[in-house]
Amino acid sequence: MPLHDVGYRAWEGVLRPRAAAVVIAGTGIRLAWKSRWLRRVMLFAWSPALMFAGGFFAFEQAVEDGSIAAGRDATRRLDGFGLVGRLVATSLGGQLDDPEAARRIVWSRLLLAFMRAPQAVLLAVVVGLVAPRLIAGDLRARAWLVYFTRPVSRSDYILGKFGVLAAIVTVITLLPALVLWLVGVLVSPSLAVALATWDLPLRIIAAAVAVTIPTVLLALAYSSLTAESRIATFAWFATWVACWIAHGALAGADMAAATRPQGGAAVDADPYAEDPPSEHPPSEDPSAVMPRHAQQFNWLARAAGIDNSVDRWAWLSLYHAQGVVQAWIFGIEQRFVVVLPPLASLVAVALGSLGVLLVRVEAPARA
Amino acid sequence: MIDAGTEPLQERSPLPVRLERVEKWYGRRVVLAGVTLDIPPGITGLVGPNGAGKSTLIRAILGLVRLAGGRVEVCGIDPAVAARRVRQLIGVVPEDDAAIPGLSGVEMVQYAARLSGLPCVEALRRAHEVLDWCDAGQERYRTVETLSVGMRQKVAFAAAIVHDPVIVILDEPTNGLDPLERRAMLGRLVTLARDHGKTILVSTHVLRDVQSICDRLALLVRGRVRLAGSIADLTGSADRDLRLRGSGPLELFVARLTARGMKARLAGDGDGVLLHATDPAAVVAVWEEAGRAGVEAWALEPERRPLEEVFLAALQAADDADLGRLANAPA
Repeated sequence: MPLHDVGYRAWEGVLRPRAAAVVIAGTGIRLAWKSRWLRRVMLFAWSPALMFAGGFFAFEQAVEDGSIAAGRDATRRLDGFGLVGRLVATSLGGQLDDPEAARRIVWSRLLLAFMRAPQAVLLAVVVGLVAPRLIAGDLRARAWLVYFTRPVSRSDYILGKFGVLAAIVTVITLLPALVLWLVGVLVSPSLAVALATWDLPLRIIAAAVAVTIPTVLLALAYSSLTAESRIATFAWFATWVACWIAHGALAGADMAAATRPQGGAAVDADPYAEDPPSEHPPSEDPSAVMPRHAQQFNWLARAAGIDNSVDRWAWLSLYHAQGVVQAWIFGIEQRFVVVLPPLASLVAVALGSLGVLLVRVEAPARA
Repeated sequence: MIDAGTEPLQERSPLPVRLERVEKWYGRRVVLAGVTLDIPPGITGLVGPNGAGKSTLIRAILGLVRLAGGRVEVCGIDPAVAARRVRQLIGVVPEDDAAIPGLSGVEMVQYAARLSGLPCVEALRRAHEVLDWCDAGQERYRTVETLSVGMRQKVAFAAAIVHDPVIVILDEPTNGLDPLERRAMLGRLVTLARDHGKTILVSTHVLRDVQSICDRLALLVRGRVRLAGSIADLTGSADRDLRLRGSGPLELFVARLTARGMKARLAGDGDGVLLHATDPAAVVAVWEEAGRAGVEAWALEPERRPLEEVFLAALQAADDADLGRLANAPA
């Protein structure tokens, strides 16, 4: 018997089980953080932010030394930063007269590109590796008995598990994007830029929420459908890949059709042509025309919303649907009719997943 | 203290758990068929063959299943209406391993305490305190998936009682325990019931455990309560038989009693003599004859039927009743 054994004593305090979701989330985060590979991936997830910080720095340097106003030569100089430089240059397009307007365009697109291109993919990978175990592991270890024999409701449980993944999403997507904005403010000529771009942090948060809710709920729904986390992992990645392929095939067919002349034969489009064929009429939006040097980085251009062709199949793929909605949140995509199908798709995924979760999480206890 | 509402619990219902005509169906299969059962403070054993509905009954008490009919009250609260408040009052040790992989034993108990509403630091303090009481030792720092069966059972028990519940429900609490651990676990249950006024419901197949610690018993067969009452009443002899325990010439002793016109016979289990004595004078005569026969008697006590015998007889009666019901059912 231990020397300090005081026997069993009554609890004199008051039980207040009102923050069960916080307890579940906190413990889940602590358990997930024990994984060394997760810590490494989370650290690695910040590395793209360095590259994009370079983009902010390059742009602000150009503004400071006045080369922005000097015309298109500035964009060539910015090419030195590789992908990000091209993005900046493309964002500037032909409207370089007003640095303030250019700043908003560049920052929004840099942030969107950051959240879309590296972070969204990393997020899908990390969520796919962490989420399946969250509920499937509980089902396998019969841990649901630990929860549902205590004053824990279904919503507490779901919120708690959601919180674990939301924390990961925050660390991978939200925090680096906010830090990027802060870096932009710090390297800008005046701190007044923070006031001029005050809405960007809010847009970043909204864009992160747009990613988090459907992604996390879908991942948790898969996890709740099986006690084998491997099956949930497979289903998660299979869904992403299948949706991506389906979207790619249909969007590719659309693009092929768009480049086909009235006569019937497809045009052998020259990606380096000064004026590539487009289904859209020229507009005043600098992003409407895509300079030839940016075309070899179509993926980044699409991620940043520079390619403003209508992706009518975006709703098919979670990744692309999120991209369109995020572009809308950043004010880059302003055609609501384009946003509506992907937005509806995300809402449907979120609601459907929530429905599955509500039915499944307590099912073993009721069986 | 448990914040379960403004009214004192005892004023609302004198009984910690009350079930009235509880019915539960899974599809077309009846699992609980009008169960009416009161569970008073003390230790109540819930026994029955596999598939009798014991686990479903426990889930009904916890408000985990939607009932087809009837009513459950836990300290006057209906779990169907306020399941969270009811679960605050209850601690459950499930039959199967139920733990969060990756947590150590003490973290597991602390986690359970926090889920039940204890503040973080207090939860850790009480987790250690309760694990000390359960004699968990240093193994509490190992992750739960690496613990032995007995240690896991201790952790599960500690997690169930860490928030000082009014009612403790245990499903097969001595599963996988060695004899010493088993005895210690039963001792803790008795302490909780006797010294701390807990209401304890033990669902088990081990009738020996029920007989050794339970005050009351409820036998569930095919969703019906076939037997309920105090252990003393259920195992007591209807014929008011006595058993004399002792050593010496027991055959001679039996012969002398028979000669005096008393019913007496050697116990079938070889442990003393069974006799029928209805009045104090007969008891005095038994002692006298024992002395004359040279039997060294050390106990004369009411004969108790083994619980297993009671259990089997009740099962047989249940079978007969069901057969009768089938026979009388309209074609």
